[in-house]
Amino acid sequence: MTPFVYHRPTQLADALALLRDEQARPIAGGMTLIPTLKQGLAQPAALVDLAGIDVLYGIRLADGVIEIGAMTRHYDVATSPLVIAHLPGLADLAGQIGDLQVRNRGTIGGSVANNDPAADYPAAVLALCAEVVTDRRSISADAFFTGMFETALEPGEIVTAVRFPAPRRCAYAKFANPVSGYALAGVFVGVHAEGTRVAVTGAGPCVFRASAIEAVLARDPAAASFDAALLGPDGLASDLHASAAYRAQLARVLAARAVARLT
Amino acid sequence: MKMTGEYRIAAPRNRVWDAINDPEILQHCIPGCEAITRNTPTNWTARVTAKVGPVKARFQGNIRLEDLDPPSSCRIVGEGSGGAAGFARGEATVQLDADGTDATVLRYTAQAQVGGKLAQIGSRLIDSFAQRYADDFFAQLAAILGGERDLAVAAAVQPEAPAPSAPHVPADAEPGAAVTRDDRPDASFPASAAKRFDSQSFTIVVLSLLLVFMTVMYALKP
Amino acid sequence: MLRFGVNVGAKFGIGQAVRRAEDRRFVAGSGRYVGDIVLPGMAHAVVVYSQHAHGMIRSIDTSRASAMPGVIAVLTGADAVADGIGGLPPYFMPADSGGPPGYRTIRPILVADRVRCIGDRIAVVIAESERQARDAAAAIDVDIAPLPAVVSPDAAAAPGAPLVWDDCPGNACFTLAFGDVAATEAAFARAAHVVALTIHNNRISANSIEPRCAVGCFDPATAGFVLHTSSQNPHGVRKVLAQSVLHVPENDIRVISPDVGGGFGMKADAYPEDAIVLWAARRLGRPVKWVGTRSEALMGDNHGRDQTADAALALDEHGRALGLRLTARHALGAYVASATVAPITFAMRMLPGVYDIPAVAVRTTATFTNCSPTGPYRGAGRPEACFALERLMDMAARAIGIDRVDIRRRNLISADQMPYTTAVGVTYDSGDFGAMMDRCLSLADWSGFPERQRQTEAKGWLRGRAVTSYLESAGVFNDRMELRFDPEGNVTILAGTHSHGQGHATVFPQLIHEWLGLPYDKIKYIQGDTDKVAFGRGTYAARSSMLAGTALHAAAQDAIAKGRTMAAQLLDADIDDIMFADGQYSVGQGNRTIGFADVVKAFYRPIGVPGGLSLGLTTIGTAGGQSPNFPNGAHVCEVEVDPATGAIHIDRYVVVDDVGRILNPMICEGQIVGGIAQGLGQALLEAIVYDPDSGQLLSGSFSDYGMPRPDTMPLHIESELAEIPCKTNVLGVKGVGESGTIAAPPTLVNAVLDALWPLGVTDIAMPLTPARVWTAIDQASKRGAA
Ligand SMILES: Cc1cc2nc3c(=O)[nH]c(=O)nc-3n(C[C@H](O)[C@H](O)[C@H](O)COP(=O)(O)OP(=O)(O)OC[C@H]3O[C@@H](n4cnc5c(N)ncnc54)[C@H](O)[C@@H]3O)c2cc1C
Repeated sequence: MTPFVYHRPTQLADALALLRDEQARPIAGGMTLIPTLKQGLAQPAALVDLAGIDVLYGIRLADGVIEIGAMTRHYDVATSPLVIAHLPGLADLAGQIGDLQVRNRGTIGGSVANNDPAADYPAAVLALCAEVVTDRRSISADAFFTGMFETALEPGEIVTAVRFPAPRRCAYAKFANPVSGYALAGVFVGVHAEGTRVAVTGAGPCVFRASAIEAVLARDPAAASFDAALLGPDGLASDLHASAAYRAQLARVLAARAVARLT
Repeated sequence: MKMTGEYRIAAPRNRVWDAINDPEILQHCIPGCEAITRNTPTNWTARVTAKVGPVKARFQGNIRLEDLDPPSSCRIVGEGSGGAAGFARGEATVQLDADGTDATVLRYTAQAQVGGKLAQIGSRLIDSFAQRYADDFFAQLAAILGGERDLAVAAAVQPEAPAPSAPHVPADAEPGAAVTRDDRPDASFPASAAKRFDSQSFTIVVLSLLLVFMTVMYALKP
Repeated sequence: MLRFGVNVGAKFGIGQAVRRAEDRRFVAGSGRYVGDIVLPGMAHAVVVYSQHAHGMIRSIDTSRASAMPGVIAVLTGADAVADGIGGLPPYFMPADSGGPPGYRTIRPILVADRVRCIGDRIAVVIAESERQARDAAAAIDVDIAPLPAVVSPDAAAAPGAPLVWDDCPGNACFTLAFGDVAATEAAFARAAHVVALTIHNNRISANSIEPRCAVGCFDPATAGFVLHTSSQNPHGVRKVLAQSVLHVPENDIRVISPDVGGGFGMKADAYPEDAIVLWAARRLGRPVKWVGTRSEALMGDNHGRDQTADAALALDEHGRALGLRLTARHALGAYVASATVAPITFAMRMLPGVYDIPAVAVRTTATFTNCSPTGPYRGAGRPEACFALERLMDMAARAIGIDRVDIRRRNLISADQMPYTTAVGVTYDSGDFGAMMDRCLSLADWSGFPERQRQTEAKGWLRGRAVTSYLESAGVFNDRMELRFDPEGNVTILAGTHSHGQGHATVFPQLIHEWLGLPYDKIKYIQGDTDKVAFGRGTYAARSSMLAGTALHAAAQDAIAKGRTMAAQLLDADIDDIMFADGQYSVGQGNRTIGFADVVKAFYRPIGVPGGLSLGLTTIGTAGGQSPNFPNGAHVCEVEVDPATGAIHIDRYVVVDDVGRILNPMICEGQIVGGIAQGLGQALLEAIVYDPDSGQLLSGSFSDYGMPRPDTMPLHIESELAEIPCKTNVLGVKGVGESGTIAAPPTLVNAVLDALWPLGVTDIAMPLTPARVWTAIDQASKRGAA
């Protein structure tokens, strides 16, 4: 691990100023970044810890939108009465991330910014038509996740919050990789006035919407199963843990389970 | 891991050929590429900074050409080292065919090996990444040449792995709109006779693929 | 004599569930592990490992590393050769006990020329801090010209396969065979039914909670080395380092392994790092510490299993076994390391298990591959044997169309056949295998299965079950225990065996308390230091209860005998009239008595030496030469399988074990349940995965190597112990350390296959991850459709 300067600003503006340096990196819960540093796979000259910035914390409800600050820990999302009342699927999702230690450290902002193909939050963000709020703009979920570990964030831009418009109903179904605990596949279903969104994580190189399944649900909101033609292995990930065919199967089964779980 | 791919680029073959002989264009197409140097006609070096999620690493890659059979094929053997992080090595055969007068079809077969810590901690990501980088490379090339993205027509990682492009929703999709994989371009195109092709341009294409493989492994799980 | 439950002796005595004396220290963080050791002037070592599975080292450029801050030295294989440092031989070869010669390897502590596996040690950096050493290690450039690698034992045995050792054709190190080929062929020829399958026992890693680590010291004044190492076998490590690596007298080396956080066989022998820290300490004149990381452990520890076998069972029309045949390739990895010959041999010798099979032929080729060496891992060969046999039994029942319990009843060796000698020449002294199975079936409510199955099917899942029996062979070699009494009459046990989680500090004092009547909490226990313990063989292969127990018994008897002489003097009586019971010597049945501690005190009187006795009291007991003992039992597992996802839920797990005389039932159950967890880990999740072409390790962290977790396990493992005392050792004990690991894999796999039987699934290779289970279902349904 190469030496770095550690900053812990208390004001967002100070953090942004520090992050103007291309060699600086924000650190949130550190659950991904610290192991990366320890393996010598990144050598930032400075770490800017976002933990001291109060405005990045908290869960608020205003005008039917639940806003979750970027530094909010998974545990706090899982146990928030506001989230449980308005976004039960999201609370359920947050409670299934990793283990208790990870949930006490990891943050929604870090998870969304990292966009791990097997992370849980991206599915919720995409299926719930959320907006990712940054220090300079608001990015729709559709535009935010651009590829494996890639997002629309620009250098030095940080996520400050995620805004979830309250859906009519929502639910998440996850099949955890028994080895790592990450999602082998996870499906989030959000029912909105405009229609139903189905987002799949874990199965492909990046979270995506299962459009054919959405189309079925548009006709039959209570569909109990989805056949193989609606979501096949093409484009899904294959690795030492699972084949693309298995991931496709999981995604279809989990979509049905999430639909059944909608309340 | 074995990868094959076919890409149709909406530009005449000679323009493609020129482009992939142009270090500046290539630098644009290879994500994170900082410099490409031609040491000898059959020996190239490239410097790439790869950024994958929280990972950021700098690589140096070397390529040499073997089994030259102009104009139809050549084998390119390359390796890149990320020091203690591990290494990538691979070999590839690339072929470039004209598809009518306005388009070019590029085919490659590549075999890559990733070693050391990269393989030990990043194995789950290798295939997807390699494929994504290949896609990015060709999409960028196609964009520069033909002004269009997303021209990948068919590619597969063998034996049981998926096609390259994730079925993600295009950025401009309407919320709620159904976008299926069937919206993608047609997967069939005519095979044309192999045309004369400068082996040096293969080098660059394959070099970029190899760099891709090296980069790939850099994403890790704690 | 069969008893379920425990015979209880004195309070804190034999059979009592005495709480583990060592646990307070461990859970309170005051255990002393090697990683805790900090010595004045200590430097830190980080090792550079091969990134290639096979290749020739062209060059090693250490110049950048040497110039980095804090770096004291960078050493390579060439330096080791120049210093006359040797390498690590196998602990033993078949030839050492009359077997075929085989191809004997020496593993260099640092490889100078040809690397043969990922994780071969190439260089070491010694620096002021571990971080500096790690940074410098990353700056060493090793240029390796790769050679083709071979990963699976089958691929290694194929014609034209790359050779791991050029002068070892076919990568075949040695081939062993037991049994009677002609009789077995004849049995197959006249059989009404033959079932056969090919199985692979997955390569797995022990993953002790404390990774290996070592601190080496050298004192130039005395030319003495001190090695603190996390080992199961300190004297064994000393011998190898002295004789084969450093070429110094054994008494120049002191090896200390006080508290060790798990070994499972993996820590039973010296590793290159043990040698490296001593060599470096001598070169630098400073203590040198090496602490392995988890990823280095997954890569560089010796692995377990990795056996591929073609197995077949011949039966008559009633389902009685006539013959058993097994031909196996057992992977060695790149070197013959540690006691890897033991699991290979056990897998063959224990093949017939609990069944009365008249003809057996078993043949195994130990095969080199470009992988980390294999070695003993909990169970060591017996899991391989049990897996093949129990899979065949289930297959046979289905092929013949009889119940899986019935086929076992028809074939189990019965209690009145004891002592029983198997077709490969192993003699069992005792056991009632049928009784174990029946008890296990009843505890598991085997007959209530149909109702549970209906409930499972109502939710769209499938339910399956299995019953298996296992037999283990415990207690190899000889051993030595010492009792050292102090002038106050207290006693210290100096153990030749070694506890790295087994609770010896609890159980051996229980024995001494029972035998000598000394207060339990005054009995001290010392292990794992070659300067304190004169000699010992360490602990592995479930050996300690029998060998250390027997040796301790001899030492205690000797103490009682010497004490009797002293008591006769003190009580002024004829020695033949002195009785010993409950810690008291007495004259006849009379009331002239003296306690054992008071007798001990007399050995330390300041003037004169009591007639015929020594000053002070120390007794030594040894044990060896007896037959091993044969713990055995039955497992029942019931699973639910979600056919849509392949998920497995273990609904119940019941185990009944005959462990002979029970010394501490709580510790026995802990061993059994822990063993089952490891067995289920192998069956469900664990796999060391190498890329089949390149030999690269793909499962190098716990993100990719699946450890069993609480949610992998059944909510409750019901364990019941049975006491059928062993007839061949004085304590009547049978080993317990490996039992759980042996039967868990076939029990789980048979249960899952039972659940999936209606779908046409007949085999799934371990580990049975959800992905593999679903893929098997999917393929079966496609076969069915075709
Ligand atoms: C053992 C383990 C198990 C896990 N299991 C799961 C699981 O099951 N499901 C799951 O979804 N996740 C899982 N995770 C991931 C974890 O939940 C975190 O979400 C993840 O590590 C990132 O969040 P973090 O706050 O720790 O970010 P960090 O590690 O601090 O940062 C991650 C990356 O994001 C950047 N970053 C952080 N915050 C911001 C911001 N506000 N704006 C811009 N960039 C930012 C950092 O620079 C860095 O590149 C697991 C992690 C571990 C260690």
